[in-house]
Amino acid sequence: MNNPQIEIQLIAAVVAIACAIPGVFLVLRKMALISDAISHAILPGIVIGFFITQDLNSPILILLAALTGVITVVLVEIIQKTKLVKEDTAIGLVFPALFSIGVILIAKNANDVHLDVDAVLLGELAFAPFDRLLISGMDMGPKSLWVMGVILIMTLALLVMFFKELKVSTFDTGLSSALGFSPIILHYGLMSVSSITVVGAFDAVGAILVVALMIAPAATAYLLTSDLKKMLGLSIGIGVFAAIAGYWLAHILDTSISGSMTTVLGLVFLLVYLFAPSKGLLSVLYRQKQQRIEVSLITFLLHLTNHSEENERHINHLNEHINWQKVRSKNVLNLALKNNMITIENKVVSLTNKGQEFTDLAIEYIITNRDENIEHMKDDFFLFRG
Amino acid sequence: MSIGEYFNLLWTDYTLRTITLGTAVLGAICGMLGSFAVLRKQSLLGDAISHAALPGIAIAFLITGAKDSNILMLGALVSGLIGTFWIRGMITKTHLKTDTALGLILSLFFGFGMMLLTYIQKQPNANQAGLDKYLFGQAATLVESDVKVMIIVTGICLFVLLLFWKEFKILLFDADYTKTLGFNTRFIDILITFFIVLAIVLGLQTVGVVLMSALLLAPAAAARQWTNSLGLMVILAAIFGAFSGVLGTAISASQNNLSTGPVIVLVASVFVFVSFIFSPGRGLLFREIRFRKNRKDLQLKKTLQFMYGIVKTHDNISHPHAIRILNNFHGFTRGSLRKLEEKHWITLEGQQWALTNEGFKEAEDLYNQQSNNE
Repeated sequence: MNNPQIEIQLIAAVVAIACAIPGVFLVLRKMALISDAISHAILPGIVIGFFITQDLNSPILILLAALTGVITVVLVEIIQKTKLVKEDTAIGLVFPALFSIGVILIAKNANDVHLDVDAVLLGELAFAPFDRLLISGMDMGPKSLWVMGVILIMTLALLVMFFKELKVSTFDTGLSSALGFSPIILHYGLMSVSSITVVGAFDAVGAILVVALMIAPAATAYLLTSDLKKMLGLSIGIGVFAAIAGYWLAHILDTSISGSMTTVLGLVFLLVYLFAPSKGLLSVLYRQKQQRIEVSLITFLLHLTNHSEENERHINHLNEHINWQKVRSKNVLNLALKNNMITIENKVVSLTNKGQEFTDLAIEYIITNRDENIEHMKDDFFLFRG
Repeated sequence: MSIGEYFNLLWTDYTLRTITLGTAVLGAICGMLGSFAVLRKQSLLGDAISHAALPGIAIAFLITGAKDSNILMLGALVSGLIGTFWIRGMITKTHLKTDTALGLILSLFFGFGMMLLTYIQKQPNANQAGLDKYLFGQAATLVESDVKVMIIVTGICLFVLLLFWKEFKILLFDADYTKTLGFNTRFIDILITFFIVLAIVLGLQTVGVVLMSALLLAPAAAARQWTNSLGLMVILAAIFGAFSGVLGTAISASQNNLSTGPVIVLVASVFVFVSFIFSPGRGLLFREIRFRKNRKDLQLKKTLQFMYGIVKTHDNISHPHAIRILNNFHGFTRGSLRKLEEKHWITLEGQQWALTNEGFKEAEDLYNQQSNNE
């Protein structure tokens, strides 16, 4: 591993961390698509800033472009307030228009601007180490590392200072304004930080992939935990992992670094989406199946208590009467048998004492319709779950 | 080539005619289906799908090695549909919200697609150049067969739209009611989503994945401002879409190195902007005018009401009073008094005013809501 390689990975990791932190709050506040809007809409700001400064890493350009990002948010909110269109349409109308202006500006001034459309979409991480920061002739490392480092430190400082406020206003806007934290200031603060981060990261990873770096780690972490601090930590971890793994994937396949980073993020998300312990697809499907059969079991037990006649309790009759498919009836019967809730004699089903007790409790639960969970009752009675 | 020349050449030049017809048809189908997307609050679904189509294009190229636009579109369709259904799965099965799901699919698929594109670019295969036109679109690459496909798809789409018009409409406005009526809402839902994906995929070659969603949204959002009827909205959106397509293509063809996508999007945005401001029913301009007029009206009526308060204790309602006594009511001016006189509610004579019978009645009925506002 040579020096530029380390530097690229370092830049990628710093970008990933800087993006992951605002990303968590955007995802939790259901504003994930704002990052998409900002990342597109800053393009004209960047192009105009580039005309003025001629340097993609100049602080003026970053501020100018970040301002465009905040303006986008304001513009979206203005359009929403007119009530002429819905919120999502407002977002969808604003950013393509601004992005188009940016693309046209680049196309019309292609000779003066060293920006091309590919760079806009993909960034040029591979070239980042060649643009060095020189202070009185001393090589201080790649410029973009400094830019992103400053942004990251700023974000971290703001996060630590306003963690409590952000947390309250994210989960309970009403409470936070009652406590005296202005949700509007926090909202625009978060928007400004996101804009600045997007602009800083833009150079490294491009307009659309910055969205991936913001949303994907946060969404992945959200599937794994419900604790804000853990979620922040996890998204940072996932971001850094994707940055480094993505770099090596790009190295092996000889492809764009940011594209590979996103691909790694996608794979990580896919794995978590499928296999996350309690919120992943498989465990959700499993739980739904379990609940379906357990509800059936309760229905079946209720039916048994309601009928003492033998013919109503005959296995074949049950099949016709409750109108279940064969397999489902069989599953329910097996589950009830396994849990010692019924006995079957001569194909006539009867409740055991335990089954009777459980049914009584279940009836009481259904009648009183208390808000508490039926789960603990199931835990008390079930030896085997559905 | 100037825009004027472009439209002159349109009647003689075969290529230009093909391209213009293509973008017009594309704009029309996008406007039509976009109306549904906008009304179903799925505006940004289009954005996600169009980005999600990119890996499909790249994979289709990697497998076949040919740049046949139909095969590439098929790849885009498949990957767009996968994206759509994954978004649905995420929203229904996990606690991730719509916006997160859309943003995820959009960025992850697009990133993967970009990775594949850069991979393809590095391949020693001379055929690969031009795949990146799918990013921002290049109408100039449309050929007759592409346009034919577009027209056929638009025809099918129109047919299905008319066939299921009632179902689409009722699902749009009251999904629960539709279900209780016994319609298969899932099927209708999937059908309309499928057509939206199809429209997006059709437009990729012309407008590009990055900006395709705007072509879907903008004409519909503009049309929405002019009417409250779904049928009219769909027709208007189709017309706006077609015009954006044609004008955008004309402008981009008349300039050097301008991609079609951004120009079409900007033209469509102008349509939206104009509609937002100038539409008579909902537009901001007329809303403001109505607002001002109402405010003035209210001011006049307040003055009238104050006069009524003074007059009603008198036997003769038309007994003249000095204007001076209105002074502790601040909301009147010379002008507003003259307006009142024009309406024959009061008569003015020198420094004195008197309520007319008409004005007395008007003031009396003011809170009864019985008087007709002219």
